[in-house]
Amino acid sequence: MASSSRRKDSRAPLDSLAEGSSATSRLDVVSKAILAPFTHKKHESSKIFADLAPVIMTPRMVNAAATVSGKPRHVESSSALTRPRVDFATLGRAPARFGLGTRRITSRDLQIVEASEELLGEEIPEPEGVAQDVSLIRGFNATIPSSDKSRARRRQTRNVEAPRIGLKKLGMNARGLLADEEDHEGESVASEEDVVLVGRPESRGRKLRPKRKGRQSLSAGKVFGTEELKRQTHEIRRDKENLHVRRTLLSNEISEIANKIEALDALRVKLEQDLLKLQEDELELDDELEGVKERLDIEESTSRPPKVRTSLAHVPQSSRRRKGLPILLFCSRIALTPIYPSGPVFLPSEHDELPPGVAFMASHTGPITALDFSEPYGTLVTASQEDPQPRVWDLLTGEEVGRLKGHRSTVKCIQVEDHICLTGGEDGNVRLWDLRRVDEDDDWDKESELVSLSEIAEEESVDEFGSRSQIATNGNGNVRQGGSEAESSSDKEGACVRVLEGHTKAVSSLYFEDDCLVTGASDKTMRQWDLTTGQCVMTMDILWAISHPPATGPGGTIPGHMFPGAAAAAGTFAVPTPPYADGTWEMYQDFVGAVQFWGYALMSGSGDGAVRMWDMRTGQPHRTLLGHTGPVTCLQFDELHAVSGSLDKSIRIWDLRTGGIVDTLKYDHAVTGLQFDTRKIVAATGENPIKIYNRTSMQHSSLMTNGHTRPVERLRYMDKYLVSGGRDSIVKVWAL
Amino acid sequence: MPSELPYAADAEESLSYDELQVLRRQYEKEVAQSHVTVQTTFNFAWGLVKSPVKDDQVEGVKLLGELYRNEPARRRECLYYLALGHYKLGNYEQARRFNDLLLGKEPTNLQAQSLASLIERKVTQEGYIGMAIAGGAAALGTILLAAIIRRAHK
Repeated sequence: MASSSRRKDSRAPLDSLAEGSSATSRLDVVSKAILAPFTHKKHESSKIFADLAPVIMTPRMVNAAATVSGKPRHVESSSALTRPRVDFATLGRAPARFGLGTRRITSRDLQIVEASEELLGEEIPEPEGVAQDVSLIRGFNATIPSSDKSRARRRQTRNVEAPRIGLKKLGMNARGLLADEEDHEGESVASEEDVVLVGRPESRGRKLRPKRKGRQSLSAGKVFGTEELKRQTHEIRRDKENLHVRRTLLSNEISEIANKIEALDALRVKLEQDLLKLQEDELELDDELEGVKERLDIEESTSRPPKVRTSLAHVPQSSRRRKGLPILLFCSRIALTPIYPSGPVFLPSEHDELPPGVAFMASHTGPITALDFSEPYGTLVTASQEDPQPRVWDLLTGEEVGRLKGHRSTVKCIQVEDHICLTGGEDGNVRLWDLRRVDEDDDWDKESELVSLSEIAEEESVDEFGSRSQIATNGNGNVRQGGSEAESSSDKEGACVRVLEGHTKAVSSLYFEDDCLVTGASDKTMRQWDLTTGQCVMTMDILWAISHPPATGPGGTIPGHMFPGAAAAAGTFAVPTPPYADGTWEMYQDFVGAVQFWGYALMSGSGDGAVRMWDMRTGQPHRTLLGHTGPVTCLQFDELHAVSGSLDKSIRIWDLRTGGIVDTLKYDHAVTGLQFDTRKIVAATGENPIKIYNRTSMQHSSLMTNGHTRPVERLRYMDKYLVSGGRDSIVKVWAL
Repeated sequence: MPSELPYAADAEESLSYDELQVLRRQYEKEVAQSHVTVQTTFNFAWGLVKSPVKDDQVEGVKLLGELYRNEPARRRECLYYLALGHYKLGNYEQARRFNDLLLGKEPTNLQAQSLASLIERKVTQEGYIGMAIAGGAAALGTILLAAIIRRAHK
C-alpha cells in the first residue's frame, strides 16, 4: 500500500500538469504504466499479423485485457514486483553518489552518459523546413501503428454486424468480411483505449461518459448517436492531419534523396575528371621518359656511328596539337596564360600493335592539296586539286561519309577541330562546316550530278575572283547564311554553316582556334575573322608590311627582294617551284604559305621568304625572321621555337627569344608540309617517303613502307597517328 | 510556435510490445537499406524510451543521441526527448543539463518547465534518501564507536 501510494505521489505531479485530466484517467495511466511489464509481451496472433498494415496491429486488446482485470486493487501485488526494481534504482542511485553501486551499470549506460557530454557541447541551430513544419512527436503520432486505429474503428461501426475488436476479426474486417458479434465489454474498453492513446487532449474529456452508451447503441442497432458522429468527425479530421503529416515527411525524404543523388553525381563527375587528368599526366610522363632515355642512349654511345634508320619501328612519341602555349617569349608586351590541351587523345587498343605503315588508304581524284583530321580514328577531311568538294572520311571504318559541297574551286587549306571544319578555297571564300551534319546530305551521288550541273551553269556567270551574280551577298566581308547554289533544293546544305567572303584571291592558308580565324590569301593580305558573327575583324596587309618594315624590329631591315622572280612588291605572285622528286613542278602562287596564331600572337610565312610575327590587336608586324630564300610553304610554332619550311628545300628552326636560326635542315626537294613537336619534325619534302627528323638525336629517318608512290604533299599527325596525302591522290595513315 | 512536445507523463505510457516490434522492424529494414529516415529513428527511439524495460530505455536514449548528432535541424526537439529519457533512466544530472539547454532556447516552453521541476523534485528526493542513508550510517557508526569506547573504558 505504502509503495503504491508513494508511486501515486510521484505520479501525481506528472498528472496534475496534464491538461484536462480527470481522476479516473490518471488512475488508468498509472495502472497502465505499472502493468506495462506484464502487458509487454507478445500476443501470438500478433506474430501472424506483424507484417501487415498497422491497422491490424492493434495492441489494445492486450492492454484492454490487462486493464480490465488490472484495476487498482491489483496494483499492490503487481507493483510489489516492479517495486524492487524501482526501489533499488532509486536507493541505489543515492549510494552510487556516495560511491557504492548495487545497480548493475552496463557499458551502454556509460556510453550514453559519455555521449551526452559530447552532445551537450554541440551547437543547436534554429529548426527550419521540415523540422519546423512537422515536429517529431507529430510525425510519431502520425506514423505509429496505432494511428490508423480510429479508422479501423470507424470501419467497424459502419459494419452492421457489430464485430468484436479482436485482432483476427479486425483483419477480417479489413478484408470486408463479417464477423460474429461478441464481447461488448471488450469493445467498450477498447474504445476507451482508442480514445486515451490517440489524441490525448480532447479525448480525455470524453472518456467514459458517453462511450459505453454509444457503443452499446452501435452494437444494438444502426443508430449512430450524435456523440458518435461528432467523434467520428474529429477522428476523421485527425486522420487527415496525420495523412498530411505523412505526406510532408515523405516528400521531404524524397527531396533529400534527390539532393544526395545530385551531390553524388557531381562527385562522380569530378572523379572522372581527375581520372582523365591522371591519364594525361601518364602520357606526358611516358613522353618525358622516352626523351630522357634517348638522351641517355646518346650519352652512352658516343662512339657508335650514327646510322640512318630506313624504317621506323615504334618511335615512341606522344605529341599533341598544342592548343595553348605560354608565349611570354614571343612578345614582351603580351602576357598570356598557359592553356594545356583539353583532354587526352585516346588510342584504340590495337593501335600500339600496328606495324608502322598503312592503316588504310583513301582515294581522291587528283593530288591532295589539303587534309586535316579531328582526332585519331575520328573524322578526316581531305581536298584535292581537281575536286572542289572536300571529302569527309571516318577513320575508324575507312569509309567516306560525305562531301562538303559549296566551294566552286579547289580547296587549298583545311582545318578540323572536333566537328567544326574550315576550308579555304581558290575562289577566295572560306566556309565553315559542321561535320555532324554531313550525314544529312543524303544520296550525295545523285546530288553531285546536280551540283556539277549547277556549277557549270554558274561558272559561266561567275567571275574568276568571286563576285556572285545570282546569289545575294552583303558586300565585303559579310556573311551569307547557308551558302549554296541558289537553285539547288532546300534540303541540301546541312553541312555548310557559314561562308566568309572577303578575300579577292585564293585563300591559301588558314588557322582557327575557338572563335578566331586568320586566313592568308594570294591578295597578299591576311584577315582575322570572328567566327561567331562571321565578320572580318581585321585585315593585315603584308605588302604594306614589306614596304614598311617595322623600325624597331631587330631583323627587319631588308624588304623581301631576296630571290629572283619574286615580284613581291606588285603584281601577281608566281614562283616556279623546284622540281619534285618525280620531276614535276608547278607555279607556286600562294603568297601566304602558312599562318598560325596563339592569343594575340600571329605568325605568317609568306612568299617573299619572310616569317613575320604580328600583333593581332594592332595588326602590325613587329618582327620579321629572314633566312629563307624561297617562299615559305609551311610553318608552326610553339613556345620556344618556330619551324618553317619553304621551297628553297630547307627547314629552318628559329629561336623565338632571339629571333635567330637554331638549325637548318637541308633536303633535296621543296618542303611542302611539316609538323613538329619537342622531339621530332615530320616533313613532306617532295619525295615519296615522309621524312622524320629526331630533334633529340638529330637523326633523320623516313617512312617508306607501303608508302606513297608519288611525292607527299601534306601531312598531319596527332600523338602516334599520322595522316599523309600525296600527289598520287592517296591518303595514307601511319602509326608512328 | 506552440510547442508540441509531450509532457513527461507521455513517456511513462508505453507502447505495446507488438507496436514496438513493428517500429523496430521498420527501423531495421531501413538500416538494411542504409537509408534511415529521421522519423523512423525517432519513432523507434521514442517507443524504446517509453517502454518500462531499462535496457530499452538506454537504447532509446542512445538512438536519440545519434539523432541529435546527425540532424542539426532537429536538435532542439531532441533536447527535450533526451532530457526526458535521461530523466526516466535516473540520470538526473544529464537530464537537467539537456533541459537547461532547451530552456535557454525556449524559456516559455511549458513542457520543459514542467520537466525541470520534475527533475528538481527527483533530485531532492534522492538527496533526502541519501541523507537518510548517510544519517543511518552515521548513527550506526556512532553506536559502534560508542560500543568500542565503552569496551575500551571497561
